[in-house]
Amino acid sequence: MSEQLAEEKVAVILQEDSCSRCSVCSTLCPYEALKKDTETGKTILDIEKCQVCGLCYSTCPSKAIDVIYYDLDSLTRYLERAKQEYDSDTLVIMCKGSAPDFTGVEGLFGVTKFIPLSVPCVGRIPGEVFFKAILMGIREIYVLACDGDYCRFERGSLVTGRKILAFNLLLEQLGYGKEVITLKRNSLKVKVDTDSCITCGNCVFYCPYDAAKLESPGVVSFDLAACRGCGLCVAVCPAFALDLENWEREHISDLISKLSSEMQTPKILVFRCQWAVFPPLNEESVPNIRYIDLPCASRVDTSHILEAFQKGIDSVLIAACSEEDCKQEKVSGKTQRLIAGLGEKLNQIGLQDRLHFCTVAPRYSEGFNRELEQFSQRIEAIGSKEGE
Amino acid sequence: MIVTTQKPLDEILDFISPYSNILIVGCDGCTQPPRGLREAKTLSQLLELGGKLRNKNFNFKTTTTTKQCDYYLTASALKPQMEGMETVLSLACGIGVQTLAELFPEIPVFPAQNTHFMGAEEREEGILEERCAGCGDCILALTGGICPVARCAKGLLNGPCGGSEDGKCEVDPERDCAWALIYEQLKQRGKLQLLDEIRPPKDYQLSGWRVKP
Repeated sequence: MSEQLAEEKVAVILQEDSCSRCSVCSTLCPYEALKKDTETGKTILDIEKCQVCGLCYSTCPSKAIDVIYYDLDSLTRYLERAKQEYDSDTLVIMCKGSAPDFTGVEGLFGVTKFIPLSVPCVGRIPGEVFFKAILMGIREIYVLACDGDYCRFERGSLVTGRKILAFNLLLEQLGYGKEVITLKRNSLKVKVDTDSCITCGNCVFYCPYDAAKLESPGVVSFDLAACRGCGLCVAVCPAFALDLENWEREHISDLISKLSSEMQTPKILVFRCQWAVFPPLNEESVPNIRYIDLPCASRVDTSHILEAFQKGIDSVLIAACSEEDCKQEKVSGKTQRLIAGLGEKLNQIGLQDRLHFCTVAPRYSEGFNRELEQFSQRIEAIGSKEGE
Repeated sequence: MIVTTQKPLDEILDFISPYSNILIVGCDGCTQPPRGLREAKTLSQLLELGGKLRNKNFNFKTTTTTKQCDYYLTASALKPQMEGMETVLSLACGIGVQTLAELFPEIPVFPAQNTHFMGAEEREEGILEERCAGCGDCILALTGGICPVARCAKGLLNGPCGGSEDGKCEVDPERDCAWALIYEQLKQRGKLQLLDEIRPPKDYQLSGWRVKP
């Protein structure tokens, strides 16, 4: 294992030569992955602890940290391309954790035409990106971060808030006007249809945050302040009485239909946890593979997997975080068990080997690609289920 | 709760293969997790996919009932939905299936579940264990709240037997010896004297075949 990992391409690299040993990164790192060696004074990166939030990258004053996802170059290239494509002078940068669904942007910011930029944690965006965007002719920037308490990277939202405050002052002094960057905070929450609730208590049992409570006699109540929007309760509700705001069941169903219609066979649909896989901004489109990025693997609903098969998808891959890396309270393990239960049933009807659950982490950038390649090869070998 | 497990899908596909229009009826009643709308929908999706691979197209309608064993509730919930249905597939325990069969004598009703026992769930493990055998003469007051009729493999009233070892049962080394549990429970409560009395065989007729509550 360790030998294999030694050869792995890691997502964050600390350039010792450039490091000024200022300790900004080790102070900010939410996971103690960056630490100052008390004897040598050097900063040391422990990649095993790293969750690739990018806070160190965006704040390092010496540019001593390289990150392979959403670095300054790739963000700049994206903006240049997207500005043409979307033909807009409004940029919306969103944390995938709080509002992954761009259809909700209009309601939140009141903008209809904009350049979307979705990243796992806005705290990773280097300051230069804001300035480059303005130099490109972008006039308004909206940033959607998670509510501070719900930030999956603990300090990402906080750091963003401080940065934007400083940048706005700077931009005003430079004559670009007031409040060029607008910050808004949001977090995903459960939606309850009390009329459909059968008060079975499944959500109460599964909720890792004690947000669901069964109040006798037969009333389930949700403490939305405690809800962290993982979606596990939605996936286990036997009465379809729950849904996840901005990630409604019907929305995902529509997405499955749309994706299936544009794919070639054998069709592979991948449900990805946004914290397990960081897709590149210019992700190449393979004709027989499509992705649905979810705010957490626990939002993967077994009924959506079956629906995908019904709509002509040949195989489904689920990429989740390991329990240790789970940004929620170890819900990925529970999801894995739910998926395994469905897998057993699929075996019974002759759809074995067409559903696979894997755990990956963005710290090893090739991990997901390797899983996908292996799965693709397997599916290519058994072919489309329609053709059997 | 009444504990059920889903029948193998092949068996269910065999039941329904002569029919096209099928109503799948869930039950929100006592199973955990309830075999309600989600289970009904999941089963319809699985059967549709399974049918397709067997060159058979089904039309499913899914619904659920508050308590499928309740004749009147179920009648009012289902009667308006029966038009055009050739058969009914029930997700309830054997009692619910029989209620449906009585309710719709003109069409075949099939069970989608095997019914096991009255039990409780160890939720973390997702495992269900029998807790009550419905003997009609409850002795839990004398056994520390642990039922030997349901939980001792031999249903002994004066246990444990010689097959109890390290708190486990000789029938299955993973199975707790109910009498070892009873002993520990009574010891903790300072009620071990309850074990001094020899209990005569139970009168299983008390279970009865019908009662008036």
